[in-house]
Amino acid sequence: MDGKVLIANRGEIAIRIMEACKDLDLDYIVVYTDADQDSEHVRRNITSGPKQNAWRITSYTEPNDLFAVATHTRCTAIHPGYGFFSEDFRFARRATIRDHSLIFIGPNWEVIKNLGDKINTKRVANELNIPTIPGTDAPIYNEMEAEDIAHHLLEGQKVEGITNPSILIKAAAGGGGMGIEEVTEIEQFRRVYRQVQSYAKRQFGDGGVLIEQCLTDYNHLEVQLLCSQHGERIHFSSRNCTIQSTGRQKRVEAAPGFHASCFDYDFDEKLVLDQIVEYSLKLAAHVRYDNVGTWEWIVSRSGQPYLLEVNTRIQVENDVSARISYLDGKHPNLIREQIRLALGEKMGFKQNNVEFQGASIELRIVAEDTRRGFAPWIGTITEFTFPDHDWSTVYTHVPFDRPYTIPSEYDPNLALALVWGKNMDEAKERAARYIDEVRIKGQDSQGGSITTNLDYLKQNLNRLLTF
Amino acid sequence: MTELLKALQKIEERINYLIQIKDFTNWGNLFGFQETCTELKQNPYEYHEEQFKVEIRKLDESITFLEERAEEQLTPMERVRIVRTVERFSLKDILENVYEDYTELGGQDEANIDPAMVCAKATIVRKIKNKPYTATVMVIGQETGHGEEFRNGGSCKPEGNEKALRYMKVAETEGIPIHFYVFTPGSFPIEEYPGAAQQIARNIYAMTKLRVPSVSLISEGGSGGAEAIGLSDFRLMCSHGYYSVISPEGAAAIEGRIREGQKVPKELIEVCAERLKLTAKDNRTLGTIDAIVKEPPLGARHDDFAFFAQIRAEITRATDKVVLSTKSFKAFRDWENKRRKKKTERKDLAVDIPWDLNRDEQRRLLILRSKKYREMAMHGFSGHPDPTETFFKQFQEKSEKFYYNLRYDLIKNSHKQAKKIFREVSGEGSVMFKRLSTPLTTLKDFLAKDGKRKSPPLRITYNKTIPTTQPVQDPLELTDKYTSPLANEDRTVTCPNSHKNGCKDLWIPDLYGEFAGVCENCGHHFPLEYKWYLHNIFDPDSIRFFATDITSGNPLGYTGLNKRLKDSKKKTGRNSGNLTFTAKVMDIKIVTSMLYRDFRSGTVGSAEGEKFVQACELATRKKRPLLSYVHTTGGIRIQEGTLGVTQMPKCTMAVREYIDAGGLYIVVYDNNSYAGPVASFLGCSPYQFAIRSSRIGFAGIRVIRETTGIDIPPDYHSARNALKRGHIQGIWDRRDFRRNLHKCLMTMGSHNLYYR
Repeated sequence: MDGKVLIANRGEIAIRIMEACKDLDLDYIVVYTDADQDSEHVRRNITSGPKQNAWRITSYTEPNDLFAVATHTRCTAIHPGYGFFSEDFRFARRATIRDHSLIFIGPNWEVIKNLGDKINTKRVANELNIPTIPGTDAPIYNEMEAEDIAHHLLEGQKVEGITNPSILIKAAAGGGGMGIEEVTEIEQFRRVYRQVQSYAKRQFGDGGVLIEQCLTDYNHLEVQLLCSQHGERIHFSSRNCTIQSTGRQKRVEAAPGFHASCFDYDFDEKLVLDQIVEYSLKLAAHVRYDNVGTWEWIVSRSGQPYLLEVNTRIQVENDVSARISYLDGKHPNLIREQIRLALGEKMGFKQNNVEFQGASIELRIVAEDTRRGFAPWIGTITEFTFPDHDWSTVYTHVPFDRPYTIPSEYDPNLALALVWGKNMDEAKERAARYIDEVRIKGQDSQGGSITTNLDYLKQNLNRLLTF
Repeated sequence: MTELLKALQKIEERINYLIQIKDFTNWGNLFGFQETCTELKQNPYEYHEEQFKVEIRKLDESITFLEERAEEQLTPMERVRIVRTVERFSLKDILENVYEDYTELGGQDEANIDPAMVCAKATIVRKIKNKPYTATVMVIGQETGHGEEFRNGGSCKPEGNEKALRYMKVAETEGIPIHFYVFTPGSFPIEEYPGAAQQIARNIYAMTKLRVPSVSLISEGGSGGAEAIGLSDFRLMCSHGYYSVISPEGAAAIEGRIREGQKVPKELIEVCAERLKLTAKDNRTLGTIDAIVKEPPLGARHDDFAFFAQIRAEITRATDKVVLSTKSFKAFRDWENKRRKKKTERKDLAVDIPWDLNRDEQRRLLILRSKKYREMAMHGFSGHPDPTETFFKQFQEKSEKFYYNLRYDLIKNSHKQAKKIFREVSGEGSVMFKRLSTPLTTLKDFLAKDGKRKSPPLRITYNKTIPTTQPVQDPLELTDKYTSPLANEDRTVTCPNSHKNGCKDLWIPDLYGEFAGVCENCGHHFPLEYKWYLHNIFDPDSIRFFATDITSGNPLGYTGLNKRLKDSKKKTGRNSGNLTFTAKVMDIKIVTSMLYRDFRSGTVGSAEGEKFVQACELATRKKRPLLSYVHTTGGIRIQEGTLGVTQMPKCTMAVREYIDAGGLYIVVYDNNSYAGPVASFLGCSPYQFAIRSSRIGFAGIRVIRETTGIDIPPDYHSARNALKRGHIQGIWDRRDFRRNLHKCLMTMGSHNLYYR
């Protein structure tokens, strides 16, 4: 294909995008910061000379630098990866409408804008009769009305037989967990409501609040979609991402979303999974979604799904879904497909060409202390080896052949390991074996040895796909 | 010999005075004469007494000749210098010599809240038919103090003006006339509580409706400082004084675009003094003063006792005139006064006219004052000056007034009354009914316990029973109908607060498009053009401009102004720097006046003032709220001289009448708002708000540094500081302008507004 892609990200995703570009015969440019000089995504490229394709920038979140590099190197497209600018509709818009226009590899900015707003997503979903978490879909400013709604929600939960009914009051303009309070009894409601309202007014300049049912017992599911600009939409089944660190960072993901071998549910898991896939496709069609995206769902113990939000980007765990999917007998590469579709190509295959088989598990290997609140570990890695099986793969930006110092500026993610098998039991077994075979050694500045979450990962395999 | 030496001394003083007036140039060999004087003085005994006498006489003759020539060819700048000499009479001299007795109020000399402002209770004696009549008056004026340092040259601080205001109110309570004496080069431009501009605005606002006769005498009238005590029923001016919008030096610095610290060329100052038309004669022609008090040649000095007698006569006559004009029955006395004066040339009065007014006379006094200022500066612009000039228009206005009065006063009020009575009655009734029906309803409830009661639909999602409705777009939210032309550029700007708050660079299309010119991180507001506000504050397609044919002119024939006005008109396609229009905000009809930057930096001249007054009148007539949005104002348009300055009392008078009639006057400042307008008709609003990052003040930083020598911090004029010292009532985010304005319209103002 023709074109030159600026890879505006770091770590393993930068490498994966690089590989995908090579696969598609596209030119690419990578960027790096001072802290990332030793990272694999830089070492594999050329940092000086006439063939330079790695450029140093001040920060991955500095759009001026990124666009300056893009203009200078005559890039035609930009891939934001995940994190950083991947879901920033302003960045996408700027890339698209600036003088030296770039193709933003991802959904178009209007879609990002519409779905990036959680309240708006909820509203649109409700219009389409897609279930969302019970609560308000517009900011509430009136205390009386708010209390009425809260009362209604609490009563509703009692009727459903939930033992500890509770609701959340959120600042409508907030985000990232700020300005959220829980209320379990209607008597407390007014006090907490006022507290949140004044906080919101002070912090965000807008006193609107949202009131939602608080779900305590649920599974976090995701549906992977791939859409083209020509109105074609393919799904890659669902995955389960319930096991998360304290900061809501996923640690173990598995596909498919539920599996009969792991649990004893009183609902038909196939029906639920089909239902959320169908709902996801419906919403995607409604908003004219045109690239990869993930629909996040919450499924309660009774099997009721609720749409949580839409991630308008390629996700870290996209490969989990790819490893249970077979296209012409091979695992698809979703990043490659994403780039291809963003550049305007047609899908080239149909939903019934995609076959789902077996189960897969992704392990996020992170240098952190899981017993101390997932505190990151900073130091130098001296030994780093992974087993090589035909049922596993690993994505990492940490070099195998030399020591590597983890930069303190970024997350201490080391590697993503994927294992897959015929069924979930086999996958779990292989994952445990895989963890045992991993060798990571390292030292921090005090001479202490490395702390990783391998044990945590192994322990959590047992509760995979259960409540 | 001593007498001769004394005479010599006198002559020397005269020479020095002349030298001062001529700005230390060797005009008419003045330095030569000075040398002769010194020589004579140093060696008096080398001359024979006769010879000495001859020398002195010779000197005297030459100096007298020179003085006559000087008086003949007195230029405006020389008049300014006369006023500035230390020999010039001051308010203390007047208090000593014009009035019988006086008691200084609010401080003495240095022990004073502001030594530059003197307030005194004084008695003045009038001889009528050889019988003395004493009257008490309040004397308020600036004291230059013959060069005394602590008097600050008559430059008043806010607290000085506040003192003046206090004693004006005392005079009002006591019902005695006020004599104002204006001796100020301008107000001291510091922003201490409540701010120079704010205090002047409060003074003017109070003076517009002061229920006692007031007369002012202007010797040195510098812009805002003069206006702070200058609004009166009769304005006198000394023939050698000046009354100007800005000091000639200031005008020259602006004209010549002189950078700070550089010297302003003398020729330019002279030229500017000439152009500003600041002399008594010019002001009389322009109609900004009512009469001139003749001074002796080359101006009155502190020992011109004849002149003080004249002041006494003039000021009493002026007071009499003002008082007489309010009397309903005055024909005979008026005639008698005129007759006697002509016949005998006597300055004394023929009949006694008591200076205290009854209620009716006070009302008439206020009407006359209002009329006097309404008619000021009418020839400063072209286009339809007055909406009442034709019979048809007059009829239309009258019928409009009648209609709106009928509709919003009579009918609405009776409606309200009826409603109130109905509510009272029904309230009583419902209590009685409830008593009777309670047993029945309880029984009904008891029986229907099993049946579910229907509750109103709630805005809860995923509730299968209740269909969700499409939420309507909040009509107070910003829309993206209009995008600023500033946004058409692919580059980034750095927020000026980025070093403090770590703001990210802002991409121009985002900044001027989606963000409405506001830094997302710190809320810094970048300036936007006035058109943005036209599109984003008011309901779509609701703007109707009026008085568009009032055109800014060049009443003083100021060189170069015609071209600049033409450029501005071409650039904006509009006739003046004030947009007046009616518009709607959430269907509430309002009247708006908008000073905007593109037309001569939003300076206020006669046309702008007239449009503002017409907006006030329209709003009064139709009982609508009045919004004054200040996109930018650079102050009074200096090229219109005192015609510009009189816009301050004129507009304040109009807006005061609007507020008194029960109107809601909201002022919103944006970008830069300085000087005259802020110190009068804008600053007098009880509801003033500022857009964040705007600057509000009296004088610019540079002027403050040059006039006071105080080095002030860069955020001196920030909206936050204005809020702190009580000038404005709130700071608005630009994106919430419409929402806040709507809230204001709904919650503020009296019941007299049409929609209440």
